[in-house]
Amino acid sequence: MESVTENKILPVNSEKKQKSFQIIVFKLGSEEYALSIEQIKEVVSTPNIARIPLTQSYIKGVGNIRGNVLAIIDLAERFGIASEAEINHGTHKYTLVVASEEYKIGILVKEVPNTLRVTDADIDTSPHMIQDSSLGNNYIRGIVKSGNRMIILMDVFKIITKEDKEFILKAD
Amino acid sequence: MQSGDDEIKEIFLSEAFEQTEELNKLFTHLEKNHTNKQAIEAIFRITHTLKANAAGMGLEDIAAIAHVLEDIFNEIKTDNITLNQDLFNDLFKANDILCALINQVKTPGLPVKFRGIKTKLEVRVKKLKDEASENNLQDAAHTSQAQLNKDYKKPVLKRKSPSKAQLEKASRLTKTILTDAKTGIDMIHAIQALAPSETTDPNPEESIEKEAAKNKPADDTKIVISENIHIPVRKLDNLLNLVGELIIEKDRVIALNGEHGKGRLNEYTRLQRITSELQFSVMDIRLVQVNVLFNKFHRIVRDVAAIENKKVNLLLEGTENEIDRNILQIISDSLVHLVRNAISHGIEPKEQRIRQGKGEHGTLKLSAKSEKNEVIIEITDDGQGIDPKRIAKKAIEKGLLTKENASLMSDEDIIYLIFEPGFSSAEKITAISGRGVGMDVVKKAIDSIGGTVSIDSQTGAGTTITLRLPSSMAMKGALLFELESGAFAIPLSYTKAVIAISKKEIHQIGNNLMTTHLDKNISLIYLNDLFNLKQLSDSGKEKFMLRSFNKSSMDEKLHIIIISFNKKDIGFVVNKLLQQKEIVEKPLCKPLREVKFISGATILGNGNVCLVLDAPAIVNFLFKGSKPSTHQSQFAAETNY
Repeated sequence: MESVTENKILPVNSEKKQKSFQIIVFKLGSEEYALSIEQIKEVVSTPNIARIPLTQSYIKGVGNIRGNVLAIIDLAERFGIASEAEINHGTHKYTLVVASEEYKIGILVKEVPNTLRVTDADIDTSPHMIQDSSLGNNYIRGIVKSGNRMIILMDVFKIITKEDKEFILKAD
Repeated sequence: MQSGDDEIKEIFLSEAFEQTEELNKLFTHLEKNHTNKQAIEAIFRITHTLKANAAGMGLEDIAAIAHVLEDIFNEIKTDNITLNQDLFNDLFKANDILCALINQVKTPGLPVKFRGIKTKLEVRVKKLKDEASENNLQDAAHTSQAQLNKDYKKPVLKRKSPSKAQLEKASRLTKTILTDAKTGIDMIHAIQALAPSETTDPNPEESIEKEAAKNKPADDTKIVISENIHIPVRKLDNLLNLVGELIIEKDRVIALNGEHGKGRLNEYTRLQRITSELQFSVMDIRLVQVNVLFNKFHRIVRDVAAIENKKVNLLLEGTENEIDRNILQIISDSLVHLVRNAISHGIEPKEQRIRQGKGEHGTLKLSAKSEKNEVIIEITDDGQGIDPKRIAKKAIEKGLLTKENASLMSDEDIIYLIFEPGFSSAEKITAISGRGVGMDVVKKAIDSIGGTVSIDSQTGAGTTITLRLPSSMAMKGALLFELESGAFAIPLSYTKAVIAISKKEIHQIGNNLMTTHLDKNISLIYLNDLFNLKQLSDSGKEKFMLRSFNKSSMDEKLHIIIISFNKKDIGFVVNKLLQQKEIVEKPLCKPLREVKFISGATILGNGNVCLVLDAPAIVNFLFKGSKPSTHQSQFAAETNY
């Protein structure tokens, strides 16, 4: 497990007693994305990946993470924001292991992610955005503004649940 | 068989001890709170189960006491008996006696006296019933008393050595009396006096005390904790997974150090031995005897035969053979289906059997035998067999076959059509067969655990369906090979041969590649091409399927694994053969569970993941693609399940 550095940018406002929670921030393409910390189990260096035939190309395959065989996914490629070089040469050194009750998968990231403590007030949950209909419209939980940074907070399982079936090539 | 009986006895004992403990607990609860309906219900249930189990084991004494307890609680349930301290004393005593009796089954010792308490409790029940119909009984009581006096004068006098028959008669009469009237109670004591070891004491209370005193050394207050434990299968699955991982890790350690540390051979041998012993012990825990499943068929066969109005005898053979519990679970539905099929389609109606001189009763045999790492289960009936002509007709109707093809196929091949999805040969739908699950479901279930199904049918003489099942799901032999995209494994149960030929020996026929192996023509397919398809429907097109073939040079040696499944042989062209290895296969988890052509993954010694090919799925897919009639719908069906 890689050490995850924490930079508390936002002091918790004790007077307002807002609920604060931690998010894990990582880069996909040139943008910053984040997941809530309870969806993330650990960060490991990316294992060797066995490519699975007849699946979408952003499904990189399966890897051995602590004795578990997990599907490993390149979200950047899925979002269409990865460069050619990234797709072909797999520069992703780290894998975020995300787990829900139903799923456990790995998500490729280039750098060790950071944690960030935010409060509900920091999240704009109704961003006026044109949603990518192919991804469904509710995987983005909100936009976190932190200084000049703009971080996209998403619910990774919304993406996976929707695409569960689409992972696999169809006959038609 | 002996070991099988022993095991059943062990299970009975451990359950019985638990049940008596539970009874003690519930009696105590009930004693504190007489209105505890739940406890009353629970006691009633437990005594009922105990009675049935004991009767099944032929332990009449235990069954008898449990029966009385059950009766009493039946009355308590309906508020016919009011609970009081006196009754509880008796109940606890009865339970102690039960304990003692069960103990005696385990370690035979001094016989346990139980009739006193049994009688006393019986009397309680009878009293109640009698109160309800006392008047009716008066007459009967008198007659029975008179008869008793007549019959039993002699035995009572010859008290020195009463014969067994006399004693039996006496106890039979005890029962008669009890059903007759209250007045019988006195007579019971008189009859009981006949038993040599019992005193002539007419007071049951005292004789019970004496029984208790005699039984003392056996039960006392010694706490007996059952020697068997029940474990949820889930925990065993977990344990087996861990052992699997340990073995992988062991292989890895040995592979890593093998090159440098030849001197450590001894340590490694020890490690090897311990891990493999551990593995076999864990696998052994999971084994259960097939009779766990087979015994359920007495009832199933009876019910099905009754509905079909046929007469069927069930024979069980080799029930002591052991098999992994999970495998048994997976095949149980299939076996039920096969048995139902055998009775409703195989065995003829009795009139027809008699006409054919076969005897009214059909015979259905379930047999199991162990062979190396396999357990072979056979379902044999002596019915009419499977008629290939009927199968062919049906298959043509269902569009699974064309007339021209049908005439070319051998009878055997036609019979195997019953495994095709969408084939159900039942001409009329009955309650038993034709409920939508066909033989294809059976086939799929057996395939999923790496087993095989075969049919041997003689028209007019009967059918045998043979299931070859791995005895354990944990480890399987596999052949490792390499493709462009990495290492893959294929279970050895599907591989037939490995050959190396040059391109010259491969012939292109249309879009198909063929070669000959041992005088047999075999289709070849480049797995690389199959796995590089963008769409599965491209599988028939030359530019995709022959891509690698067209690229390779004339002299190149090609490695081919010939696999055999469902009587179909096909050659897979692979890049390189690696090694043969025992693997622990794990299914892929969500969201990849429905991935095609891959049944699971294993972790290799170097820590890398190696995918395991789903040979049946590939063979089915390839052969389906070549079927003429239902081309399109087959594809849809293939992708939707």
